[in-house]
Amino acid sequence: MSAKPYDSAAKYFDLFRAGDMRRWGQSQQALFKNLKGKVLYIGIGTGQEIVNFPPQLDITAVDLSYEMLRRSETRVQNYDGRIKRCQMDAQTTAFADNSFDSILTVCVLCSVKHPVPCLQELKRVLKPEGELLMFEHVLSHNPIYALILKSMSHITEYLEGTYLDRDTVSNVEKAGFKIHSHQNIYLDIVKALIARH
Amino acid sequence: MNLKIADFFIATFTGGFVALVVFLFHPTNMALAMVQGGLIGMAIVLPLKLLLMPIFGAFEVAIPLGIIGMGVGMTAGMLSAIPDISGYTVIAWGDCAGLLVAIIIYDSNKHLTQS
Repeated sequence: MSAKPYDSAAKYFDLFRAGDMRRWGQSQQALFKNLKGKVLYIGIGTGQEIVNFPPQLDITAVDLSYEMLRRSETRVQNYDGRIKRCQMDAQTTAFADNSFDSILTVCVLCSVKHPVPCLQELKRVLKPEGELLMFEHVLSHNPIYALILKSMSHITEYLEGTYLDRDTVSNVEKAGFKIHSHQNIYLDIVKALIARH
Repeated sequence: MNLKIADFFIATFTGGFVALVVFLFHPTNMALAMVQGGLIGMAIVLPLKLLLMPIFGAFEVAIPLGIIGMGVGMTAGMLSAIPDISGYTVIAWGDCAGLLVAIIIYDSNKHLTQS
């Protein structure tokens, strides 16, 4: 998977996501309360979600894009806890089996090329009693919303490598996780999910 | 401004704007006006989405505007093809249809997020 599109998007990333961050702040805070122990944060981007993290977490944050990681610097330094950043592909991480107590993804599974192998990789590095927390957008079950998302997906796929037609809930189950908690944040498109081994 | 209130204003404004542009360029044949209206509507909402999504949220803008672009465009095109209809009537229809879309999505969202 190439980091190039994400490096290019990094410059405008904060601008594009500003509206989403205003909308989703409270919902993210409610989900992130469940983070505990050693946390793996997949796809830190420019670190916009850091402001919604509870304090004093021990976080290892990865991103494919160096440019994104570079732009997250100030937010990482301002966080009241520990964040270690690594440039890494979520589909092939360099961590040992059962390394983390919690894994967090925020709008990541829409961007990775092969979501099921990526989720299987996350399952490998998650401890057996650990939790996978996801704040993701998925394809709606409503045919009208789904049609709009599918048509837009062609544009977003071309512009920034994001797919709007992913069935993340079933992908999570295909990867061998069990959905523990499932909450709609906006329609049935934006979801907060918690999955376990 | 509360973003949920802004959703209603955006939808109403977009509906009216789409209807206005469709009315300005409508052909007299109703079927043709409907198809052309739908295409114009979809073309108009694309830059509007790009403009509004960073401020008001991606999906909260994209979903209603996607429906309004085609839906209001087509119906406003058909209305515009009626002889002697005033532009104000077509724009009022666009505003009402846009608001209606926002209300339906608001209700649908309320239902889906509480269940």
